[in-house]
Amino acid sequence: MSDWEPKIVAFLCNWCSYGAADLAGVGRMEYPPHIRVIRIPCTGRMSPNFFLAALREGADGVWVSG
Amino acid sequence: MGLSKRKAAYVEYPQAVPLKYAIDPEECIFLQKGKCGACKKICPTGAVDFDQKPVTSTVRVGAVVLAPGFVPFDPARYDNYQYAKLPNVMTAMEFERMLSASGPTQGHVKRLSKDGRDPKKIAWFQCVGSRDLNRCDNAYCSAVCCMYAVKEAVIAKEHVGPGLDCAVFFMDMRTHGKEFERFYDDARERHGVRFIRSRVHSVTPVGTTDDLEVRYIAEDGSLHTEVFDLVVLSIGMEVSPGVLDLARRLGLELTPGRFCRTASLTPVASSRAGIYVCGAFQGPKDIPQSVIDASAAAMAAGEVLAPARGTRTRTKEKVPEVNVANERPRIGVFVCRCGTNIAGVVDVPAVAEYAKSLPYVEFATDNLYSCSQDTQETISKIIREKNLNRVVVAACTPKTHEPLFQETLVNAGLNKYLFEMANIRNQDSWVHKNAPELATRKAKDLVRMAVEKAALLSPLREAELEIHQSALVVGGGLAGMAAARSLARQGYAVHLVEKEDRLGGQARNLYRTARGEPVPELLSSMIAEVEADPRIQVHRGASICRVEGFVGNFKTTLEGAGGSQVIEHGVAILATGGRPYRPSEYGYGTDPRILTSLELDRRILEGDPALGRLASAVFIQCVGSREPERPYCSRVCCTHSVDNAIHLKEMNPEMNVFVLYRDLRTYGERELLYKKARELGVIFVRFSRERKPEVRLEGGRLLVRVFDPILGRELELEADLLTLATAILPQENEALAQFFKVPLNADGFFVERHAKLGPSEFATDGVFLCGLAHYPKPIDEAIAQGQAAASRAVTLLARKTLYTSGTVAEVDPRMCSRCGVCVSICPYSAPSWIEKGPFAERAQINPVLCKGCGLCVASCRSGAIHLKGFDNDQIFAQIFSLREAV
Repeated sequence: MSDWEPKIVAFLCNWCSYGAADLAGVGRMEYPPHIRVIRIPCTGRMSPNFFLAALREGADGVWVSG
Repeated sequence: MGLSKRKAAYVEYPQAVPLKYAIDPEECIFLQKGKCGACKKICPTGAVDFDQKPVTSTVRVGAVVLAPGFVPFDPARYDNYQYAKLPNVMTAMEFERMLSASGPTQGHVKRLSKDGRDPKKIAWFQCVGSRDLNRCDNAYCSAVCCMYAVKEAVIAKEHVGPGLDCAVFFMDMRTHGKEFERFYDDARERHGVRFIRSRVHSVTPVGTTDDLEVRYIAEDGSLHTEVFDLVVLSIGMEVSPGVLDLARRLGLELTPGRFCRTASLTPVASSRAGIYVCGAFQGPKDIPQSVIDASAAAMAAGEVLAPARGTRTRTKEKVPEVNVANERPRIGVFVCRCGTNIAGVVDVPAVAEYAKSLPYVEFATDNLYSCSQDTQETISKIIREKNLNRVVVAACTPKTHEPLFQETLVNAGLNKYLFEMANIRNQDSWVHKNAPELATRKAKDLVRMAVEKAALLSPLREAELEIHQSALVVGGGLAGMAAARSLARQGYAVHLVEKEDRLGGQARNLYRTARGEPVPELLSSMIAEVEADPRIQVHRGASICRVEGFVGNFKTTLEGAGGSQVIEHGVAILATGGRPYRPSEYGYGTDPRILTSLELDRRILEGDPALGRLASAVFIQCVGSREPERPYCSRVCCTHSVDNAIHLKEMNPEMNVFVLYRDLRTYGERELLYKKARELGVIFVRFSRERKPEVRLEGGRLLVRVFDPILGRELELEADLLTLATAILPQENEALAQFFKVPLNADGFFVERHAKLGPSEFATDGVFLCGLAHYPKPIDEAIAQGQAAASRAVTLLARKTLYTSGTVAEVDPRMCSRCGVCVSICPYSAPSWIEKGPFAERAQINPVLCKGCGLCVASCRSGAIHLKGFDNDQIFAQIFSLREAV
């Protein structure tokens, strides 16, 4: 098994998923540290250009949640 | 609940505010045996104090609001369900925890027996500790359990998979809340949840398997058995002994169900002046109703305290803001250790050292606790000394701490929007404690992303707007009058608009409330107070023909008999009420003996002596409600018919009175009326939507045929009076909805901001709702919501001025292509067309209404809209800064 871990860029809605990610911390849940979160005011803010930019910069996956 | 273990030092629950640890004195070894004390030794801030004792303090207040809530019924006293003995019999509260992603099983549904396997079949038993005088003393209905059981069954299917078999054993399915009936229909028809009308006899274990055999009696009296993996008891609500003791000491009157006694006209006032009540202590109720009560109680307390408002507030001194425009960014980075919360995993000094190497960073350091008072002052000092013009704090989460740090900036003379946070605790050290190196790398990345964004931040303005100190209330029924009365008592000018030439609305047709209060008296006292109040201007026979403006500054044009008139107001409350459905079914209109519920009330009000001489009366429920074309429950009709049946029986005990119903929904303590009706000899016969009663006229006799599922045969009833419990319809609200830019649901009722947490306000700022315009409801609930809407409105009016948020969208009109997408998609009605000038017919965004969600920004095909604080360049800066990391 390889050690490869996918690098994920997450765009999280300030009102729900970002708060949920905070709550995951409060609950001391563990997940792989290869994720970088960008806080957005709402998933309505999400633009296709953000996906493309993240992938171009080397992300293996982009996660939008809200 | 004992589903999982916790330590003696614990946080109450993950969402607790404040999120602080407490020590459980029952379990603490130091407090019990005088040994250990490890937490005191290890705590870096010395926060542990074993010597704290309960203290009694005296506070002088003008009003008291009681919100002590309920305790879930303890089913251990039911021996037939064997909750205490059998591991796989659990309460709905325990099951709810199991469904929770942050609960003991992380949302995984499993059996509590040793096998711990996934269940394939789950049963819910309704009315455990409710509607029961045999094994407990709770004759009332707990009002919420039907809906939560349906919800739990649907969510369980989502968690376990569609193959999970869910069965709900119930007497009457009481889904009388807004959008609840649709949910019930969906659960049954789409998700395949089974609903079994029955009474459960017993639960016994099957051999040594920990499976459960359920014996139940179906409606036709037949006995059945079925084996389940898990049984969930839908336990009801009770007032706790401690609260009963408090009520006794306060001298509060209680209801038969041991809830706080209130009256329909004053639904949140206890029997003692100045003491108000909300939530489940007032009666069993769900979240929206509790939230409505809470606002109403705040309003009631505010009314008596109105003269004292603002007398004990202090104004903060403002520090003049430094102009940083066109300055090169000079960023300060403060990396928080959060005691050991961050520093125990992340190498904080290394992160601070790394921050110094980033572009535009002038200063970087680490702090033990960035949020402590002294560190705040230090940060403020450093901002001034180092002449910083942007600040990044790498610490916990902006969700809780951004406002605090922004205030630090303001105290240092910086615009609060020149701030950015890196979340290296909740989203880093706390979740990667076993990977400290990677967590440190992540912290560095997060700091770099924040610094890159911070460099592009610019100071944002918050525009100040005056709020016109008056309200418009649309609709002069009980809800609208309650709202107007509350606003006036708080000292505000109110314009109350009623389309008819007198006040009162539908309540004019009603005889008495479920509590037995005569409605005409209640109504005339309300009308008298409203008409006598000089602060309330009543506009009778008037309608609204134009609305301009927005929160704080509305201009509404009224059209009336005396011509048109423009009213300026800061807020608007929509209380347009409802109207009765005019039935075409059951022979209505063909015979004078066939009436609607309101027509029967009219006859009772007029003291029609013929009513007492009738030999038989029949009520048919759900006329026009819970039908495919109107899939909602009208909430009040069951109680209404049951109460009228009682009235007829009391007039003439010899009268044969029948109520033909589908599910009898006398929720809360209204159940006592149902009980009383049965005791008086009213006969209840259930029918189904597929097999409705049939009404025919034969030789002058009015005959009703209905299939009785208990007897298993058709009954033929002769009726001298047939009352149809007709649906409540919304008024035609389309025009008003467009005027105030607020939504309507599929049934024509207004849609509130949030079904649970914002039931009396709209998503559009400055517009509120109450009464039947929201959903069918009885008088006490309508009045409570009137008070609640007024309460929400006062939170705006009392501010006198309104500050817009800085993080709002702005149109560059030169780039706008007039496509109109922003205007049509904004949920808050913030974008509109510029009317005049060089950019006429292009879009503009009202910063007062904009919530900064960015929907319009992402949807703008011309790139004409910018979201301040989350603009493209700022988000791209964060993405591009990942180049090194990703």
